[in-house]
Parts: sequence; C-alpha cells; structure tokens
Amino acid sequence: MKKVPLDIIVMVKQVPDSQEVVIDPVTMNLNRSLTRNVTNRADENALEVALSLRDKAGGTVTVISMGPPQAETTMYECMARGADRAILVSDRFFGGADTYPTGLTLASTISKIGKFDVVVAGEESSDSSTGHVGPGVAEFLNIDQITYCSHVDYKDRHVIAERELEDGTEVVKTPTPVLVTVLLNSNFPRRQTLRRKIDAMKKGFEVWNLEKLGLPPEWVGVRGSPTIVRRMRSIKEKERAAKKFDLSNLGNLVSELYEKNILKLEED
Amino acid sequence: MAGLINAAAVEKPEDYRNIFVYLENRNGELQRPALEMIGVGKRLAEKVHEKLYCVLIGSKVSEMADEAASYGCDVILGAESPDLAEFRTMPYARLVEDFVKREKPNIFLIPATRNGRDLASRIAVSCQAGVTADCTEIDIEEDTRILSANRPTYGESMLAEILCKKHRPQMATARAGIFPVPEKVDGSKCERRIEKVKVDKALLKKEILEFRKKEAIDLTAAKVVVSGGLGLGAPAAFKLVEKLANEMNGVVGASRPTADLGWISRDHQVGQTGQTVRPRLYVACGISGKIQHIMGMKNSENVLSINIDQNAEIFKYSDYVIVDDVNKVLPALTEEIKKYKKAHVKKTVKSSS
Ligand SMILES: Cc1cc2nc3c(=O)[nH]c(=O)nc-3n(C[C@H](O)[C@H](O)[C@H](O)COP(=O)(O)OP(=O)(O)OC[C@H]3O[C@@H](n4cnc5c(N)ncnc54)[C@H](O)[C@@H]3O)c2cc1C
Ligand SMILES: Nc1ncnc2c1ncn2[C@@H]1O[C@H](COP(=O)(O)O)[C@@H](O)[C@H]1O
Repeated sequence: MKKVPLDIIVMVKQVPDSQEVVIDPVTMNLNRSLTRNVTNRADENALEVALSLRDKAGGTVTVISMGPPQAETTMYECMARGADRAILVSDRFFGGADTYPTGLTLASTISKIGKFDVVVAGEESSDSSTGHVGPGVAEFLNIDQITYCSHVDYKDRHVIAERELEDGTEVVKTPTPVLVTVLLNSNFPRRQTLRRKIDAMKKGFEVWNLEKLGLPPEWVGVRGSPTIVRRMRSIKEKERAAKKFDLSNLGNLVSELYEKNILKLEED
Repeated sequence: MAGLINAAAVEKPEDYRNIFVYLENRNGELQRPALEMIGVGKRLAEKVHEKLYCVLIGSKVSEMADEAASYGCDVILGAESPDLAEFRTMPYARLVEDFVKREKPNIFLIPATRNGRDLASRIAVSCQAGVTADCTEIDIEEDTRILSANRPTYGESMLAEILCKKHRPQMATARAGIFPVPEKVDGSKCERRIEKVKVDKALLKKEILEFRKKEAIDLTAAKVVVSGGLGLGAPAAFKLVEKLANEMNGVVGASRPTADLGWISRDHQVGQTGQTVRPRLYVACGISGKIQHIMGMKNSENVLSINIDQNAEIFKYSDYVIVDDVNKVLPALTEEIKKYKKAHVKKTVKSSS
C-alpha cells in the first residue's frame, strides 16, 4: 500500500512555571515579571505524539502558538525537538483572550495553513487548566476529536487512540481529519539536539499577526471574550496545628485519634 | 456548527430562561456527578423561580429519566437512539446544541468529568456561549440572573469569580465530588419530553473498538484514606501503606508520580488530576505537599503526615505530623493500632458481659 504522509499541527502554549508562581499581594494577579516561563508540559507530550506519527507515516509537523513575543523560546525548543515549522501568532489584540477567542484564533491559523490531517493539543494548560481550547478548535474546524489520549496511533487514514476515562480505557478509531488531546506524562518527549537547535536558529520561526489572519479586532482577545474575571479571592485554608509525634510516642497519637473519634473501632 | 465566527452577544438576555443541566451517563447509568449537577441546578432554579431542565442523551433514556426525576427536576429533555448507547462527541454535541438553541436556557451546567469537558467545550463554541471550567462554587444573582462561577486558579491558591454578562447561555462545568447529591423527592410531576431520534450517519464515524473497564475505586466516600508518595522509595512499600489502611478500615490513595511510575494504579490518585477526597482522616506518607496534591485532600477533616523532612510543605496542611522515615513509621504505627484495638475490644467485651 502507498504510504500517505501526514500533515500534523501541534498547538503549544507557553505558561508560567507552575512550581514558582508569584502572586502580587496587592492586585492578586500573577506577577509575570518574577515568573519563569516554560512550555506547557502536556504540550511537550502532544508534540511527541506528533513527531512519532510523522516517524511512522512521514509528513510534516507544524507547531502553532498564540502568545506574546517571549514565547519564541518555546518555538525554538519545539523545532529543536524536531518540528519542521513553527508559527507564533502574536499581536497585542490577542491579549486577555478566554477560551472562545483563543480557539477562534488558533482555528483561523490552522485554516490559513490549509492542509492538515491531525491536530494535536495537550490535555490542558497548567495556567488556565480548562482543557477547552483543543475541543473548541475542533468545533470551529468542524472536525471530530479524541480527548484525554494516553496512546495515539495511525493507520490507513484513521487515528486509533486510547482514551483514559474515570472508569476505564476506551479504544477508538476515527477517520482523519481529527483533533486529539494528549495526557500529561503519557510519553517521554524526545530531547532537543544541538544540531536541530542550530538549524532552528538558522531557519527561524514565523510570526503571524491579526492582519495576517484577517479577523476583525473585536473578535479576538479580551474584546472577543464572553467571560470576564470579576474578582479574585485568596483561598483561606483552615489553620492546622501540625502536632508533632515520633517513633517513641506513637501510642499517644493512636490513643488521641481514637479518643477524638477520628479513628473508630467500628464504623457507624 | 460554528464555522469561524465570533462569540456574538445576545440582544435580549432576558429572553433566555431556566436552568439546564447535562446528565452524564455511562452505559445507561446516571453517574454521581450528574446527580450533583441536579442539586446545584435545583438550588439556582429555586432562587430565581425558574425551571430545572435535565438533558439526557443515550439509548435507554426512559429508564434513566425515572431516576433523574426522583432527584427533583421539572423537565427532562431526552434524545434516544441505539446509535447513542456510547458517548461520542459529534452526535452528542449536535443533539445537545439543538436542545439549547430550541429552549434558550439562561444557564447550562455540565459535570467536569472527562466526557463532560469534551462535550461542554464544543457546545460553548457552537452556541457562542461563555463557559467557566471546573467550578467549585456556583451561585446566581437573584435580580440580574447572572451566574457567579467560581474556580480555583494559580495552582489553587486563589478563587476567581467569573461572569458572563452578554452571552447566553451562561455555561459552567463543575468539579466532581464537591457538590452534594440532593435528597430524593416524589418525581411524578416531572415532565418528560423524550424523543426517538435518527442520528445522521456522518456523525457516527468514530468507532469505539473496545472498552477496558477498571475496577473503579471510589476514594471520595472513604472515611479514612492512607496515601503513599515518592517518599516511599520503592513500589514494594505500598504494601506498608495498604497494611496501615486495612488496620484503619481505610482505603489506599497515592500521589500522581507514584501512579505515573506504575507503583500503583491510577485509580488511587488523589489531587487536581485525580480524585477529590474529604475523609475523616487523611494520612500522607512520604508526600511533599505540592499544590496539585493538596487540592485533592485539603478538605479532609484531619490530616496526619509522615515525612522525613521537618520542613515539608505538607505539614502546613496537617493536624498531626511524624518526622521520620516512612519505612519505619508505617509498621510501627500499624502495630500501635493493632495494640490499641486489642486492648479496647477486650475491654468492651468485659464490660458488656
Ligand atoms: C498539571 C499537573 C497536574 C498534577 N496533578 C497531580 C495530582 O492530581 N496529584 C498529585 O499528587 N500530583 C499531581 N501533580 C504533581 C505534583 O506537582 C507533584 O509533583 C506531586 O504531587 C509530588 O508527589 P510526591 O509528593 O509523591 O513526590 P515528591 O514531591 O518527590 O515528594 C516526596 C516526599 O517524600 C519525602 N520523603 C523522602 N524520603 C522519605 C522517607 N524515607 N520517609 C518519609 N518521607 C520521605 C520527601 O521529603 C518529600 O517531601 C500534578 C502536576 C501537574 C503539572
Ligand atoms: N495560546 C495557546 N496557543 C496554542 N495552544 C494553546 C493555547 N492555549 C491553549 N492551547 C492548547 O490547548 C490545550 C488546552 O489548553 P486549556 O484549554 O487552556 O487548558 C493546551 O494544552 C494547548 O495544546
């Protein structure tokens, strides 16, 4: 049978490093200047899925991202891992977008790229963590989707994938074009190589602005967003005593747990 | 179908009335998160004197409708076909979209389960609605009928209140295990509008080849959860966790990396991407207390942590702490409990004779 090469698009987002978020105590907003940015980890797993599909079927992998100029590090990083092409969709008009205009902007970018068989996204971003952008793009493009995949394979113009649900694993088969979302840690992303890093720096990535997409400015960014954040509250945690015990007085701890009915001899 | 169009604001938000909830079902059985949604929906509907509609898609809708009605809803909108036995995004999304466009609800709530999010995110686009994901608090303003959708953000340290003023419906998905299942009521007055539908073949291209069910371990109802983390050092140490859990009449939980490494099955995972538990006692063994784990256990009534690091983050969320090696503490603690039980069970026997 003739090998049909695949054109694959991967959606990646640059996010604040979740291990070191710094919140401004006055505005309660993220202090972006003090926070390091990294590629959303689930999106690295998404890129790995795309690269392994290309290993198998041949074809191209294009990475797209909507974000500010500093997301260039993510663009280079994806190319150094093996992406053929990277497009950063960047314009001040895109700022403050909720999931609807984010999906619209990315779907419009994909339409402009034109040919594609598979779109790959992460299960969710670590900063917004909605998991809505991937399926939103699929709806705009009117293609089917397979979410929460732990494994993605390709055969004869069909994607065969395993989805992890609360009560088990579902194995599905869907004709292309299709959008898949990939679970965090579901694979081991291949490393960046020096060779590809150098190539990426030489080749560079593309930057597309609003004009290039031809969308009205009021459709995107904060103006195109149905939802607004009214306020932020810090979540007050219950104060806990952290009463200390050690190996010598575990008996006292156990007595206390039973006396306070935290443990019970018989469940009622 | 949306096409590349923007989310247009509706002209007359006041034309949109009533509360919709989507009832997730798996193989013809209503899931607990669906019942939790009925509870939230009912509370909102009562507050603004509107009706609660439940949306049910599947192959055996009539049977599930009886159960749904018994939790107290006003109208059941059902679409039934043998082609809908299993959840598939395309046909489900089209049918739910049809209901929304016909009935124009003001509010639409969907459980934030995997299939729930899969569906909600598409409906929000096709209906040009605003959606807030993964809410842990949901309310409605009486006079404006604006939904107050609250979701944790910045790694659960903050709660963001999100509003959608000009678009309808106002959608939200709600985290499972947070909202209570409502009391049962007399469901006979519930109006049932169940349609037998013919599903367009073009929407049925996804084939479900196989479903490998796993024995579901429900940590959410447990009174005692004993969880292991990377501090256990090796998969075999989960045996120690299990022994303590058994002695405490509890169940075994786990941090995410232990599940990632295959030390224990994913069903035991507690946290942001695992289960949310609220037991009487949570025991964290060799768990550092990263925020994504904390989110899943911080509502526990009592927390006991065992950690070798005296500055472990988890101690901030703990009522009791033991600073030592889990591999020593777990057997010793299990032994102490055995001892206590032995002593006290004997006593009760004596005094009752
Ligand atoms: C998007 C996203 C979602 C996530 N979702 C979840 C989730 O749902 N649940 C979850 O748990 N995590 C989740 N995580 C991962 C989370 O950030 C942490 O990495 C994880 O909780 C850490 O697990 P741990 O505490 O077992 O391991 P570690 O952080 O490595 O901690 C091990 C602890 O064991 C202690 N220790 C070591 N040796 C001993 C010993 N001999 N005796 C006693 N103590 C010892 C150490 O002092 C340390 O505190 C998520 C991460 C991301 C990015
Ligand atoms: N600004 C963005 N640019 C590119 N991809 C994005 C963007 N936002 C979200 N995504 C993709 O959508 C997935 C889900 O994101 P979210 O809906 O924010 O949880 C991410 O893992 C990315 O693959």
